[in-house]
Amino acid sequence: MASIWTLQFHSLYFPHRVSSTVAKLRTEFTLSQGRLSLNRWSTNRKFQLKAVRDSASSNEDQNLESGKVAVAADTKTKDPVAKFQETLISLPPVAFVMKRHTRSSFAIGLSLSTAFLVIVVRAFIVRRSRYNRPGSVEDLVRRGQLRSDRRDVKHLVTKSAHKCGYLLKSPIYSSRPLKYEDPFNNPLVKVGKSNSTMEMCGKVYRLAPITLTKEQQTIHQKRRSRAYQWKRPTIFLKEGDLIPPDVDPDTVRWIPANHPFATTANDIDEDLAQNNVYQKHGVPFRIRAEHEALQKKLEALQNEQKLNKLVIDSSNAKDFERAFKLNPKSEEPLDQNPFVNQSGDLRPPRPDQAPNGYDSNSSSEEMQKP
Amino acid sequence: MLSLIPSPTIQFKPLFPSKTIKPLKPFSSKSSIQSVLQWNRKPELAGETPRVVVITSGKGGVGKTTTTANVGLSLARLGFSVVAIDADVGLRNLDLLLGLENRVNYTVVEVLNGDCRLDQALVRDKRWSNFELLCISKPRSKLPLGFGGKALTWVVEALKSRQEGSPDFILIDCPAGIDAGFITAITPANEAVLVTTPDITSLRDADRVTGLLECDGIRDIKMVVNRVRTDMIKGEDMMSVLDIQEMLGLALLGVIPEDSEVIRSTNRGYPLVLNKPPTLAGLAFEQAAWRLVEQDSMKAVMVEEEPKRRGFFSFFGLGVLAVTVGLEVGSVVFPILLIR
Repeated sequence: MASIWTLQFHSLYFPHRVSSTVAKLRTEFTLSQGRLSLNRWSTNRKFQLKAVRDSASSNEDQNLESGKVAVAADTKTKDPVAKFQETLISLPPVAFVMKRHTRSSFAIGLSLSTAFLVIVVRAFIVRRSRYNRPGSVEDLVRRGQLRSDRRDVKHLVTKSAHKCGYLLKSPIYSSRPLKYEDPFNNPLVKVGKSNSTMEMCGKVYRLAPITLTKEQQTIHQKRRSRAYQWKRPTIFLKEGDLIPPDVDPDTVRWIPANHPFATTANDIDEDLAQNNVYQKHGVPFRIRAEHEALQKKLEALQNEQKLNKLVIDSSNAKDFERAFKLNPKSEEPLDQNPFVNQSGDLRPPRPDQAPNGYDSNSSSEEMQKP
Repeated sequence: MLSLIPSPTIQFKPLFPSKTIKPLKPFSSKSSIQSVLQWNRKPELAGETPRVVVITSGKGGVGKTTTTANVGLSLARLGFSVVAIDADVGLRNLDLLLGLENRVNYTVVEVLNGDCRLDQALVRDKRWSNFELLCISKPRSKLPLGFGGKALTWVVEALKSRQEGSPDFILIDCPAGIDAGFITAITPANEAVLVTTPDITSLRDADRVTGLLECDGIRDIKMVVNRVRTDMIKGEDMMSVLDIQEMLGLALLGVIPEDSEVIRSTNRGYPLVLNKPPTLAGLAFEQAAWRLVEQDSMKAVMVEEEPKRRGFFSFFGLGVLAVTVGLEVGSVVFPILLIR
């Protein structure tokens, strides 16, 4: 028994003062609340003594309500063993404390559960928002700029779309007219009370005025005019060509022989190109030229005896018709321009009517030459 | 990035609550939010129409095409008619950014050859009918060197005299470099927007390009600083916008912060000025478009200051944490003190 007491003494030495102090504090607390503490203290003492007694057989439960062993509070005990017993007794078990302070424990439990609930809900919302907004690379697949089989994006797109009903053409990005909406008066921008700071998207900024003056700008312009002497090139020559006598050498730009886009300007009729740019109505020049060339060719063939024979000879009529089946509307009178209808609106040129026109330039050039 | 627009009649007073400027519409001001400017109006178009603006940089990859697309659409949303020309002969990508790549059938090369008319080569944006795209050439077609400048000049003249009226803005997306493509693009331009990033390589090229533009007779040159990281500027790992302006000596049209939304918008084919709610970069582009319309420039830049204070709930969480830690420490320290 003595050894057991000793063990208890060692283990409870440190909290001895704490327990007694805590007990005192509790006493004071109860006094401050207007409650009598003696009963509580005596209850503690009753419980503590019972605990000490039962410590030899530690398997027994420590029953708080057993008041069978009532030991009178003997504050005058100076036996160290008894003191340690008091220390042990002064340490109430957690269950007892919890039962005493039910309100605070309830509050603590409630706050913990609320915090946990908030975390769970937030994680759920974040996860859901991820599904609702897939990455923008899927838009590249949708536009045909990226192959879906490489990235298996199609499958993901289908899956996410099925899950959340997300449409690729979602109305996230709306294109509404601004109409007097002031980009400098945005509610996202918060100006501080002192007007020296601005808050935007979680960051605080300070306005720093520009320090560039007109004189400084002029100085920079002069510096650049001295440093960079450049004249707009007006003549483009291939490497090896001679510079014309009237031309300023600074305005000559040499085209390397291996330049991928090097072509000579002689191939293009500038006047013709300018007219093409300024044309506002009617058939574009090249299309018209090709059509006219085709018409001339047909007329030439008609004038030949071979075509007349084909027309007169009924046995070859099927072959003749078959040749024109590809262009059903070419049976219209040839003097009528098929590209312009009665209202004068332009119809887009048909590739089947000029099969060779788009492929090469040579045929049109041949036709254009007198 | 926020900036202030000074009115020609009102002197600039940064961060001054607008007591002298009366809003046209009733403005419900909150106690904590107060707008510095209260302009509820359409920007007033300055200069002669059409305003032919070339957007160039010198160095590649700094954001010319992105700037062209976003500023162009911002102008269209403000009600101005815009024609954007992709002047990159061979490497066309403005149509990709706008999501119009499947609708480009004819280019200026076909117009020059007589395969189609100019109005047939213009691609009208279905989202904004007053925005049109014109590409110089398809990737595999050729345009004679030295001829492109004339051709582009003819195109601009033809757009001025077209039946539906001259466009208000003609934006020319210039290719990188200072070669024939650059010369072609700047030929018909009256003013220039120089796009640069806060790094020394881009600044050197920008300075060179500015010199060439001035030699060619373009004097109205404004600068857009793209891909700005205010946190790196604060940590002095990146040049500040004021440093850049000091080096180049150009007026500021806009400061665009680094934004990952640019890449997403490119993938989607939807310029980020159309995002709802707008991103920081989108707001900056809109402001730059506004200044372009009024031929104005920035008078102040934003410098990042202290980090944001946490909100109420995070403060509450911090408070709970502080109390908990305090109790724990007290439970350990107090007994030690008692024992002593």
